[in-house]
Amino acid sequence: MSQLTNDHIGHIKKDLCYRGLVLESLEDEMIDHVCSAVEARMLRGARFIDAYHEVLKSFGNTSGLRETQKQTIQFENQKPKNMLKNYFIIAMRNLTKQRFYTFINVAGLATGVAACLVIVLFVINELSYDKHHEKADRIYRVNGEIKFGGNHYKLAVAPAPLAETLIQDYPEVESAMRFRSRGSYLVKKSETADNIKENDVIWADSTFFKIFTVPVLEGNPNTALKEPNSIAISQNIASKFFPEKSALGQTLIMDNDTPMKVTAVYADMPQTGHFVFDILISLSGLDEAKSSNFLSNNFQTYVLLKEGTDAKAFESKLPGLVLKYIGPQAAEILGGEFTLEKFEASGNKLEYTLMPLTDIHLHSDLTAEIRANGNITYVYLFATIAMFILVIACINFMNLSTARSSNRAKEVGVRKVMGSLRSHLIRQFLMESILLSLFSFVLAIAIAYLFIPVFNDLVQKTLFLPLSTVSFYLLILGAALVIGMLAGLYPSFFLSAFKPANVLKGNVSLGMKSGFIRSALVVFQFVISIFLVIGTITVYRQLSYIQHKKIGFEKDQVIVIQDAYALQDNMQSFKNEVLKNSFILSGTISGFLPVQSWRSDNTHWPEGSQPTQENMVGLQTWRVDQDYVKTLGMRIKTGRFFSADFLSDSSAVVLNESAIRQFGFMGDPLGKKISTFTGTGPDGTPDLNSIQSYTIVGIVEDFHFESLKENITPLGLYLGKSNGSIAFRFEAKETQDVIQSIEKTWKAMAPGQPFLYSFLDEDFSRMYNNEQRLGKTFGVFAGLAIIIASLGLFALTAFTAEQRTKEIGIRKVLGASVSSIVLLLSKEFGKLIIIAFVLASPLAWFAVNWWLKNYTYKVEIGILVYVTAGALAFLIAWLTMGYQSIKAATSNPVRSLRSE
Amino acid sequence: MHSSELLKGTLQTIVLKVLKDNGKMYGYEITTLVKELSENRILLTEGALYPTLHRLEAEGLLRTEVVNIGKRVRKYYALTPDGKAQAKDRVNEFVDFIKTMSAVLHVRMAQ
Repeated sequence: MSQLTNDHIGHIKKDLCYRGLVLESLEDEMIDHVCSAVEARMLRGARFIDAYHEVLKSFGNTSGLRETQKQTIQFENQKPKNMLKNYFIIAMRNLTKQRFYTFINVAGLATGVAACLVIVLFVINELSYDKHHEKADRIYRVNGEIKFGGNHYKLAVAPAPLAETLIQDYPEVESAMRFRSRGSYLVKKSETADNIKENDVIWADSTFFKIFTVPVLEGNPNTALKEPNSIAISQNIASKFFPEKSALGQTLIMDNDTPMKVTAVYADMPQTGHFVFDILISLSGLDEAKSSNFLSNNFQTYVLLKEGTDAKAFESKLPGLVLKYIGPQAAEILGGEFTLEKFEASGNKLEYTLMPLTDIHLHSDLTAEIRANGNITYVYLFATIAMFILVIACINFMNLSTARSSNRAKEVGVRKVMGSLRSHLIRQFLMESILLSLFSFVLAIAIAYLFIPVFNDLVQKTLFLPLSTVSFYLLILGAALVIGMLAGLYPSFFLSAFKPANVLKGNVSLGMKSGFIRSALVVFQFVISIFLVIGTITVYRQLSYIQHKKIGFEKDQVIVIQDAYALQDNMQSFKNEVLKNSFILSGTISGFLPVQSWRSDNTHWPEGSQPTQENMVGLQTWRVDQDYVKTLGMRIKTGRFFSADFLSDSSAVVLNESAIRQFGFMGDPLGKKISTFTGTGPDGTPDLNSIQSYTIVGIVEDFHFESLKENITPLGLYLGKSNGSIAFRFEAKETQDVIQSIEKTWKAMAPGQPFLYSFLDEDFSRMYNNEQRLGKTFGVFAGLAIIIASLGLFALTAFTAEQRTKEIGIRKVLGASVSSIVLLLSKEFGKLIIIAFVLASPLAWFAVNWWLKNYTYKVEIGILVYVTAGALAFLIAWLTMGYQSIKAATSNPVRSLRSE
Repeated sequence: MHSSELLKGTLQTIVLKVLKDNGKMYGYEITTLVKELSENRILLTEGALYPTLHRLEAEGLLRTEVVNIGKRVRKYYALTPDGKAQAKDRVNEFVDFIKTMSAVLHVRMAQ
């Protein structure tokens, strides 16, 4: 039926195409339409060529055709879905075309985001401490501060009668409760069962359940812990000791002698609390708890204020309490002329303050904390590092995008000529960065998932990604969009601002145009990296300084057997039995070891004078046996140590050098005597009539028994029984033998008691756990920061080398050597690293000094550390650049010059 | 002949209604049919028809089918289920519009 010949159709096709009809989807049907219309006209007798022109005219000729085409395109693309799809396709094409840069971007950003994610989890965890208590906003702990006799204590504990006094005297106190820690306990179910050592045991008032939110699963929280010898246990303990039946009403034997009745089973306390206890023992069974002595501080005391109470106003009433109760008791001991006014006038201090419950974990680092708390400084520090890492990763992204601008300048030019608006281009570039960011975040979740166990190990927490919560994904998605936007904003505005005419003529040297900003960003990255490196080196140097400093005793090759009191009467024979092993050199029975723990001071004064504020010395009182110094390797400066040959040694004392300085003896201190109160009266205050004196028989060289953050305080060694632990010095290399032999003896002499041991050097380094963790964590993140920054630098150099291929080719042809070209390429970024080093050094200097301020004994951070850090950064940067530079410098110039 | 100004808003309605009544059609066929139906008073210009067809297709109201005829191909348009519903709505809407217009302009239409 068609009257059109193939020639006609061919002509129409060609002509329409010539007139600018190119849209695939439209072309075919236009041809069909024209053909049909021409056929209709030819049927009426028109000639082909006349019919065709008539039809064309009805389309509006060439301009009409084009207008139709344009409108069709517009209509087709008007749906936002199509528009986004288009951006998406172009973005994907660009990203896959530039695989190398995409990889660097994604890898850098994903690592950065993963690090950030892990740190955010850590920070959230740290901030969530004690928030689970419903009345948390009304609970306060009473902190004490005592400055007296050369000592300055900041205490988390208060006197025993304080809690009751607060309830009695102050109507705004709704309730109060106390904890009293007495260390770990050996627990068994019945006389015949084996003992299990429980560390998280505390004595507590029965008001515990009223103040803190700890769900009681079995038993009545109102009556639990009221009776003496009653306990409350966690679900964990209940299922450990009574797996089959209900634990309520059952009995547990504590430390082999006291049976205690379970009056409540509570849900395990969350780890995000400043205390986590497995067993609570009723304080009503502890005589010390009933004492009215205001001068000894042993109880962590918490108050619950009534609703609407102003805590500050209440706190300001506490000095009144000190005046009313503590003043008279102190005056009684220190003689009649004592008054608190005089006490304070001479620079001393006795003060109680309130600390909000939720502040304890991050803001409190006092003596006698229940467990090691966190530190708000570290939270800030980590949050800052997380920010830095993220910023470094974002900078990479921005730098690479703008650096590549010259490659994309032509694209921008063409797009603009074709009628693209600036907003379209911005959208296009933003789309690319958001895509990259989304992809990086997905990868980041995977990386974080893999590395959280490692991090948990490092910070001793049980963090996890909340993978089952929807809000987590929403948050991640939101963050990905925001990061994508932020990172893409500058490049997209920068790129879209090109003038098409200039770009297409090729007279804009775009690669270098944004040089200043890019350089600034590289400098910024390396300032952060160098800063972190210096920080890491400092922490490590200080740690190794502490560990290798002469600490005044031999911490290596000493094994400590814990809970020696479980041996009961077999203590001495156990020691003798163990010493039969020829690898064991000596042993000492004493609970006082030179590693950090909470010990109390006793006031001493030179014999023959009245105790006054001026001559009293707070002296640590350690009870040791004759082999103490021999086993632990302290050195006697003058005099002698205790010996079985001197019967009078029971009233002798060996002081350390600090104590001698504090007492300020005239002449030779040996043979002089010091006095102290030995008994307490019925109300718990020191008994003024029972004073005992000790003769100084020797002086031991100062040795460190606290963290090196502290000064060495006065210490007195007394001959006496202290059955907390037994320490043995043994020969090196025979560790396994020694342990086995000791364990065998233990099993024979203390059947059914847990055999627990540690090594003194490990106990010693445990005092610096926080610092070690800080050092490691710092190291990891500093490493990450450098890696990400180097990735960026690597890509930047690659790009520059690529840009300067021709230049390098020409230089080589003209006779430049490989080394001169490597130098040429490295110089640019090398300069930046040096600037970064100059900027980072003073910053690091301030930070390092600030941190080391905490330590009494600190390492000298010489200029060498800074130079090392700078050199390290330079080396890493140079290695990353070097590869690219050498590659560019050694390439054959013919290849780069031929392709024009 | 009606002015193209008046036609502008009704183009989609016309296309949908024509396709609803006649099943699948190609572009040229639509123009000739509309010309016949309107007794030469409505001339669908190609410049308006094709963008409209493509837009309706993009919106999912039309589906297309390409048939090879000799040396050229022909693209047929037909309504999707969505399109059918739309066609009915649009026609009803337009009838309403005419009623309103006649009330506003005080013209009585021949029933």
